[in-house]
Amino acid sequence: MTDTDIQLMFCGSAGDGTIAVGDIFKRAMAKAGYKVIAFDIYPPEIRGFGKCISRVRVTSRQAYSLKQQSDVLVSLNDSYAIPHVTEIRDFGSVIYDQAPIAPMAEGEHISGHLLPGQLPYGLRIREISDQTTGGSKSKNIVALGYLAGLYGIKGDPFHQIIQEKFQHKDPSISETNLRAFDTSYDEGASTFRLDFIELGTPERQDVGNKVQMMTGNAAVVRGCLDAGLNNFFGYPITPATSIMESLATELPRRGGRIVQTEDEISAIAATIGAGYAGTRAATATSGPGLALMIEMLGLGVMAEVPSVIFCSQRGGPSTGMPTKTEQSDLHLAVYGGAGDAQRIVLAPTNVEGAYKCAGKAFEMAEKYQTPVIVLLDLYLSNRYETVVLPRQNPFEADSSKYRSHLERGVAYNRFALTEDNISPRTIPGEEGGIHTITGLEHNEMGRPNDQIHSKMSEKRHNKLLQAFDHPGITIHKRFGGEGKVDVGILGWGSTFGEIFEAMLMAQAEGINCSAMKVVMLSPLPSQPIKEFFSDCGEILIPELNYEGQFANLVASAVSQPFTRLNRVPGVPMQVEDILNQIRHLADRVKSPTAA
Amino acid sequence: MASTEHYVIIGNGVAGNEAACHLRQRDPESRITIITAGRLLFYSRYELPRVFHESCDWRDFLVNPIEYYVKNRINVRRNSFVTHVDAHRKTLNLAHKEEISYSQLLVASGGASYLPAELSDFAPLLNHFNLYSAACKVRDILPSKGKIVMLGGDVLGLDLARNLLKEGYKIILVATEQTFWPHRVDSDERALFLGALRDMGVEVIEEVKIEQIQEGAPGMSARHVIFDDGREIFADVVMPFLGLLPAADFMMGSGVDFERGLLVSTNLRTTDQNIWAAGDVCQIWSSQENQYRFYYGWKNVKKMGEIAARNMTGDDILWETATDHKMYLDENKQIISPYWEHD
Repeated sequence: MTDTDIQLMFCGSAGDGTIAVGDIFKRAMAKAGYKVIAFDIYPPEIRGFGKCISRVRVTSRQAYSLKQQSDVLVSLNDSYAIPHVTEIRDFGSVIYDQAPIAPMAEGEHISGHLLPGQLPYGLRIREISDQTTGGSKSKNIVALGYLAGLYGIKGDPFHQIIQEKFQHKDPSISETNLRAFDTSYDEGASTFRLDFIELGTPERQDVGNKVQMMTGNAAVVRGCLDAGLNNFFGYPITPATSIMESLATELPRRGGRIVQTEDEISAIAATIGAGYAGTRAATATSGPGLALMIEMLGLGVMAEVPSVIFCSQRGGPSTGMPTKTEQSDLHLAVYGGAGDAQRIVLAPTNVEGAYKCAGKAFEMAEKYQTPVIVLLDLYLSNRYETVVLPRQNPFEADSSKYRSHLERGVAYNRFALTEDNISPRTIPGEEGGIHTITGLEHNEMGRPNDQIHSKMSEKRHNKLLQAFDHPGITIHKRFGGEGKVDVGILGWGSTFGEIFEAMLMAQAEGINCSAMKVVMLSPLPSQPIKEFFSDCGEILIPELNYEGQFANLVASAVSQPFTRLNRVPGVPMQVEDILNQIRHLADRVKSPTAA
Repeated sequence: MASTEHYVIIGNGVAGNEAACHLRQRDPESRITIITAGRLLFYSRYELPRVFHESCDWRDFLVNPIEYYVKNRINVRRNSFVTHVDAHRKTLNLAHKEEISYSQLLVASGGASYLPAELSDFAPLLNHFNLYSAACKVRDILPSKGKIVMLGGDVLGLDLARNLLKEGYKIILVATEQTFWPHRVDSDERALFLGALRDMGVEVIEEVKIEQIQEGAPGMSARHVIFDDGREIFADVVMPFLGLLPAADFMMGSGVDFERGLLVSTNLRTTDQNIWAAGDVCQIWSSQENQYRFYYGWKNVKKMGEIAARNMTGDDILWETATDHKMYLDENKQIISPYWEHD
């Protein structure tokens, strides 16, 4: 079997249909059975301005990140695509409009910027669009058809996706777009191909489960729905908004409620209120919103109320870089707030993980009676992956430890000190369940009392440690083999995909290395991390923040020195960057004095 | 002080690339742009018959590695078609509506395969061998030990023929006045060389005209050639090798004198002081023959590229009228053309 591993980059202006064509391409390839990872970059401005890029990696076996260099660039707007020509590999291809409508000055056409090793494929994109649809709006579909024809990709999945995309519009729109696709498909098929890009057979799919393609945010929504979310409160903020948008459609259909509040403080307050009332409740925000929520989050900790907060990180601080990715809200998520405000923080590393963490967050919030923060980032929120979801709902419908019937009639201590540090819960209005709830330190009955602060602090801390053994969720995992290795790479969040690819590449070069992902960042699973450290000659911790926030957490748990790799480019970390560091550390292990 | 010159070369063959190389040496700070309709960097067309007996791709035919272009800052604009040159404004236009300014322009766009009017109706049924893509197409459709009809048989065709014979293919040569082009052979030499071709195993058909070329019947050979004397041949491909015509239509209306090719003086300058020409596209003034004439072959063309580049950068070197290279038979009675020699 020939392994397929190609990455395409569609680049154009907002309004060119760049993201749309990337979407059709990735859906068609997923429909054909390939694995897909895709990530779109779009401008913060309104439609009609700014650069849009859609990168799609198509593989026959599961891949874990986008590649540093793409194999094919499709330019829908040369002025935006020209700066990205250098991101196409030698002997890669560039597809562009050979017959644009307006005269241009020297240097404005992309053909003048191709590197010597790249292969030009000029096509009459606008002309074909005009001829087949009567306008230039289908330039993206023309480019797509040429691409599919050129590489011999079957047209059927594209036809289906195009029809689905336009099914709610006038039938003539679908027909003309299909005509545009077919015309350029034939042109592509008859073009003499010079590159060496081959599509092999996709890997056999897991027939027992549901294979779907979705973004990280869509996976969060699915996880929320499968976990039985009842109430969602939110205030829009990039890159978390699409969670609320999807839930606004889906949740009411399932009997749930969604409220767009006036700000993030109201959103978290309502979430805690709904959690207190015994429903599954959540909110979603980004770093600036989480900063506003932090005070209320402390109330959730102190009052031991379940709540789930999804935080999709973006470049910060302050308004920062709304459409750029970063992993710099970790300190805020783990430490933010007044006092010892222990909470659970989960950070999925991929889209499938986003689904699992979303659902499990509700279980954990209920079971350990605490706020749970699920940390995503723009890269994970917006990137598409083909994922395998279980056919059976994997989430418990209710994980609460309730006051039993036998306890009824006995004086109720909402915050009773118990062996497992988790107090029996009751739902407001339940007979005999009267209690006080407050942000002040309180005794077992909930009445303000600062004499018991030490015990209560210990209770709130220790109850969370049971989350290490929470069923059905992987809170840390080692990859690449057990035992002693020269280099270990420790990672979290979306960057772990790049770490994993770098590890595989390093192993292919003969470097003895392995990688470990940490999904639960608070409480931190220190013991497995220590064990991993003891197996590694050198340790590398790559992350997308300037300070090394995860490295700081790790440093508080282990004494062994390690190397940090911190980048804040606003885009995903480069696999090559990580690989170079692995090579460097491997050399240092082999020749400690030379390094 | 950095040069502000922008040397633009139309054509990505021997002359154009030799000129680019010398221009870079003589004016290190200048901009150099090669414009070509093809999608590949400079490759050796002389090597194309290798596609029949080697597992190779186009990268194996490149004359220079891709790093050469980066190091020498030679921008090769591929898949770009020149539509018009404005000598007055010193600009040229590309088909995609981009306008390029130049300081000095070298036209080295070579020649296109000649196809006489009486064969133009059959063009879709003919296979050329002038480009890598065309060569691959012939290779892909030609069955093992298949049969090829060659129309004419210029030196490029004869080179292919001798290669294909070694691989066991059957060659049928339909001799025309372009046979042995661009060599000028008299009737005795012609008879001698045709005899040598027959001895090599080529079936030579003389003094006939093509009446019809048709697609073969299903399950049969792909082509059916009918001659005016009633003879018929079935073959797998029919390939015209009838010489070259200068490919410089875009120079029409530029204000530069044009006959069959671009007319240049012996320093290779056209009638415009900023436009030069080299290679198969130009006719050079020959004082000996008192006329403009073409010169062919790798060595001639390469030399023209060098002279043009040197003169564009201030020298005044003249093309020395060479005697024609003669075709001959070697000790094994094999035809040898000096035009097959290349670096």
